[in-house]
Amino acid sequence: MTKVLVVDDAVTVRMYHREIMEQLGYEVSEAENGIEGLEKSAFSQFDLMIVDVNMPKMDGYRFVTSIREDGHNHSCPVIMVSTEEQLKDKLAAYKVGANYYIVKPAKVDLMQKIANLMVEE
Amino acid sequence: MALKKQNDDNVTELSPRRSERDFNGLKNSLHEGDEDQRRWAARDLASFDEAVGPLVKQLTEEKSHVVRDAIYLSLQKIGNQDVVCQLIPFLSEEDAELRNSTIEVLQMIPEQIETHIISLLNHQDSDVRIFAIDILQVLAHAKTPEWLLSVLKDETHVNVVAAAVDRLAEVGTASMVRDIEEVKTKFSDEEYLMFACNTAIRRIKANS
Repeated sequence: MTKVLVVDDAVTVRMYHREIMEQLGYEVSEAENGIEGLEKSAFSQFDLMIVDVNMPKMDGYRFVTSIREDGHNHSCPVIMVSTEEQLKDKLAAYKVGANYYIVKPAKVDLMQKIANLMVEE
Repeated sequence: MALKKQNDDNVTELSPRRSERDFNGLKNSLHEGDEDQRRWAARDLASFDEAVGPLVKQLTEEKSHVVRDAIYLSLQKIGNQDVVCQLIPFLSEEDAELRNSTIEVLQMIPEQIETHIISLLNHQDSDVRIFAIDILQVLAHAKTPEWLLSVLKDETHVNVVAAAVDRLAEVGTASMVRDIEEVKTKFSDEEYLMFACNTAIRRIKANS
């Protein structure tokens, strides 16, 4: 089964992304910051990660940078999701290794299309 | 940090703390020392209220995560109005780590930040308004529900409203359900906000 890790400090956002991914039949794990995300990714191989930018303890940029450095998830597709909508924010996400950047609030249809595309690739 | 065990079983720290521990000595070490010296200087400067300026200035230049963490901890320990006033501009900072750590420090000194909440909730930058709501997450203030309701009524940016709804899910009461229902009407084409409102209403009703 396709495994997705949702990393976001807002519980409602995690629930929302879980619901969207579960509609696709994906199995979802959650982490509430980058540190917890790294812990989860140390023990599981994921097919997709959906990562918030602004989180306490470890932000999304640092999390994705760490994921890309080593470990069995280093090539896992990452969708970064943030309220920040400027070009510099998107570029910062791509610079650390994100595959796609979505400005919050994410539309269900878009999330599912991008997720499917990333997983199929 | 290197430690040296002495004959009498006392433990003495080596080089990082050998320099002068007065304010000026620490200020110099914070700026000019190696990583270990900077970390210790940052830590020891927590004893000086006047250290806020040098600590904040170093944050903007410091590359080491361990030194930055020591600076955040000292700023939190000093925890005065000067800390709040000098950190608030970092909420608009491009550096995500600096921004998020600033929120964490401000959350730890709620009695100092509360006088700034209204101006932050009215800040021109929608992200700063969201960060203000993030700060409210741990600010156990009697006015928190009132501030959040004002966001529901006056705010037009969907992500700021969503952050307020998210927070109301935790602190809201049954009397606020109608306000959340009005958000659903106002933002009926926003899928996430509909989801967040329904979740908040469900949680409030479950807790009532």
